[in-house]
Amino acid sequence: MKVLQVIDQAFRTTTEEQDDTILWLTRSMRSVGGELTVLLAGHGTNYAVLKTAQPSLTLGKWHQSQPADLPKDINQLIDSGVPVFIIEEDFIERGLQRQSIIQGVQTIARHNLPVLYEHADQVWQW
Amino acid sequence: MKSTNEQTLTFAFMDPPFESERTVTFFRLLDAALDKGANIRVFAYEGAVSLSLSLQKAHGNSIHGRNAEEEDHPLSKDWISSLQHKAASNNLKFEWINCGLCVDERGVTDVIEGCNRGGPPDLWRYASESLNTLTIGTR
Amino acid sequence: MSNYLFIQSQDPFTETSTSNQYRLAQDLLLAGNTVTVLLVQNGVMPARQKAISKEFDALLNSTVVVIADKFSLQQREISNNELKNNIYVGTLEHAIDALLAGHKVIWN
Repeated sequence: MKVLQVIDQAFRTTTEEQDDTILWLTRSMRSVGGELTVLLAGHGTNYAVLKTAQPSLTLGKWHQSQPADLPKDINQLIDSGVPVFIIEEDFIERGLQRQSIIQGVQTIARHNLPVLYEHADQVWQW
Repeated sequence: MKSTNEQTLTFAFMDPPFESERTVTFFRLLDAALDKGANIRVFAYEGAVSLSLSLQKAHGNSIHGRNAEEEDHPLSKDWISSLQHKAASNNLKFEWINCGLCVDERGVTDVIEGCNRGGPPDLWRYASESLNTLTIGTR
Repeated sequence: MSNYLFIQSQDPFTETSTSNQYRLAQDLLLAGNTVTVLLVQNGVMPARQKAISKEFDALLNSTVVVIADKFSLQQREISNNELKNNIYVGTLEHAIDALLAGHKVIWN
């Protein structure tokens, strides 16, 4: 069973959870043999240009020691055999086109999305 | 991998109770699925683990002018129980797994009977063994 | 070719990404698939005759099948005769039928 994971939100709980929960879910399911593809849409395309870990949160004397490292998470996802795509138009309209994309992340134009959707047995929109 | 169950549907849901209209639609979908004779498997992720919290308590509402009994406030744990009973009376399976890490970080460990603890591999197992899966993300 | 059913809870007045969701439904149709959009929750808001959304009207003018959830309509007191043309009234049963038929059912 091939599943397309569509992630169109970003930074929703990355500080609290210290990861993107759907990227994490995808990595977890991949570790048990899940055949998965990730499509970063909307604000999710911003993940593809991140270079460093997220800033640490400090609240009073409480200091975050393990902020999310989204580039690392995406790299490990790709290394585990999960193709990662971004929607070109969503990327461009957010002014991200001049920034380098994480190696291995593939770009797909919106009009070609039916090809990606047809390649999957199920589409899980998160 | 076990054989696919032709009449089983998996649902993954992320919202806590009392926050979003999605919660009502999700439960309506479960009810409709039982009406269609489908076995149901639910993977409750993130805030959705609170749906089965046994400590939920109905309250009165002075603005409505009703005490707790009169107000008869909806509780998601009761909706789950009702669907569990509906499934049982129709000889259908109704399984529910809460993401264990999501439970721990929220401290919602006291859940009603029939709602168990698991993790993402269970979602993949549920989905792999089901005829179809619907995921409902949060926003 | 596949059968798609989108459960459309988002609406074009609140979520700008809704226009892309409508467009994807139409692109999948143009690619030869069968596509149904089931409007639920505030997703039914553009269904009123006088609602103004050119993106939604374009969806209705395509051959995508558009169904509005009766319960969501009742909540908003939208009667059947207030609906734009090409909208059928139905229930969540459509989504369950599609899931049981093995169609690709996607939440928006």
